[in-house]
Amino acid sequence: MRLPGTRYQEHGWEQVRKLLGQCSLAAFASPSLPGLDDYIEAVAAILHQAGARWQAPGNSYGDSVRDLALTLLYELQARPGDWTAFCVTLPAAPGEALLRKKINDMYATLRDKVDSDNYQAACGRACSPNRMYAYRMLDTAYHEVARLFADWRSHAAQVGAILGRDIDAAPIEARQMQSVGHCRPEWILRWSASCGGPLHTRSKRFDALKDNPAKIKAMLDDIAEYEALSANLDADWRHDLDDATLWLDDYWRVLAAPEAAAPGPDRMLEEPLDDFAGLDDGVDNEPVDIDPALDLIAASVSLPPGFLQMARLAEDQTSWAARIMIEDGLPVRLAVHAKLTGVEDDAYPDAWCDPATGALPTMQQLAGLAGVSLPTLRKRRDAAIARLLAAART
Amino acid sequence: MTAADRLDRTLQAALLVAPREHDRLMLADAVLLAALDGATPLSAGERAALAASPLTIRRLRHLANARTASQWRASAGMLRAADSGAPMAELVTDDGFWTLHFIGSGAAMRVILQLNAEAPFAREVLARQPMLQVVDGTGAVVLLGRLDADGECESAWPFALAPAQHFQQAGAVFSVETARP
Repeated sequence: MRLPGTRYQEHGWEQVRKLLGQCSLAAFASPSLPGLDDYIEAVAAILHQAGARWQAPGNSYGDSVRDLALTLLYELQARPGDWTAFCVTLPAAPGEALLRKKINDMYATLRDKVDSDNYQAACGRACSPNRMYAYRMLDTAYHEVARLFADWRSHAAQVGAILGRDIDAAPIEARQMQSVGHCRPEWILRWSASCGGPLHTRSKRFDALKDNPAKIKAMLDDIAEYEALSANLDADWRHDLDDATLWLDDYWRVLAAPEAAAPGPDRMLEEPLDDFAGLDDGVDNEPVDIDPALDLIAASVSLPPGFLQMARLAEDQTSWAARIMIEDGLPVRLAVHAKLTGVEDDAYPDAWCDPATGALPTMQQLAGLAGVSLPTLRKRRDAAIARLLAAART
Repeated sequence: MTAADRLDRTLQAALLVAPREHDRLMLADAVLLAALDGATPLSAGERAALAASPLTIRRLRHLANARTASQWRASAGMLRAADSGAPMAELVTDDGFWTLHFIGSGAAMRVILQLNAEAPFAREVLARQPMLQVVDGTGAVVLLGRLDADGECESAWPFALAPAQHFQQAGAVFSVETARP
């Protein structure tokens, strides 16, 4: 399924989930439970070296499984509440199977949070993570109905139940249903009734859709509308802009525009009601298969001698960011770039990157360069980010 | 833009959209679009709400990018005719929407940029009145200015050589584009 802005709703998600699961198990191999920062850094280091198998596209935009996993990992960094929720449900010494399931659950929740935000940014309509989950349920249900229609001879009784009449010849509906937009909401409801499907369980999750064909229809149409649109327009227009930061000028212009002489009342949006505020039923838990190459990650590669001097020469100390962080030292500044923009970016000078990885040094390496402990480096990094954020907002 | 500027802007963009827990859309599209168009500025409260909501900033980014993508940015053209010896009177961009007219001669030579009223972006460009520049194949500025109400912009021919010879030596190409502030 594709909706505006979403990245994690297609079949490739299974691969992203497997990759994150496997890297996480490796990060949990140490005897004590890692903190969020330790966890992020460990998994990111493994992901950066993930082999060719994980470069395959994980969605129809062509984002690789590895890049999708990395992006989701960085999203976790921005949502410490999800990490805390994950940690509090873990027993003192979780077994591998339980750990795997909890990791799966955490990322399954996170992907719907991230994609519901992506959807809101792309189309300006409110969407909760639970609503995203409901879209996916309806899409799966539609595909199931389509599969039964296509093979109506083998499933005459169930197809009859869905259509509400006896079937003795090829049903015309089967030929007419070319896309999810042609799927009638009653069929979804009757299909669910015919097999104890998601709309006919005791779970309250989809209560908002039970006995509500109009709402089901509206959501099926949302999916169909975007599928029709994206079939004709497969490239993201964002890639057509030669400068991906042009919008910053618009943002600052809007914030700096003179206020109206007699401004009216603030026009803030009301907090939307979430129809799908039901409880989480838990998520599918399939086994994680193992890519042996991922277990052979070198612990820490040393940087070439003179790295810091060369990196300093490549830095423009008059830049906006460097001026705000001038007291912090280069290792902290590099840690800030790594946290905000990721360890790989075309904008980084070559001298900032570890020649062994082509990426910014790891946090462990940066702590070594700064001559401080890892927690101290993180604390300084986060303090610098807070100062930058205050400066960038005005 | 220097490499350091690019690095700064990448970092600033990442800072502004870094996700925040329990964020939601704070301003409707109509409010954001009116602010982008300069029609209705945001109130102080709305500005604060925007600045504190990375998700709303992402929505603004999307709307601003869509707006930029729909705006005309540049048209390129080539010096086509072989040198017949006669002075060149005009040059037209490949899309046919801009014409450079050359009038007068010698030190009194003038160059006029004219926007074709049939251009699909004519209304938008006339309304927005961006600073325009015409550059030759070496990047040298041939003309800089804003269109008048008739869609024209005129200035003195800035080079010693006549237009045909000048463009011949400067890569035989030219471009009409919005000038970066």
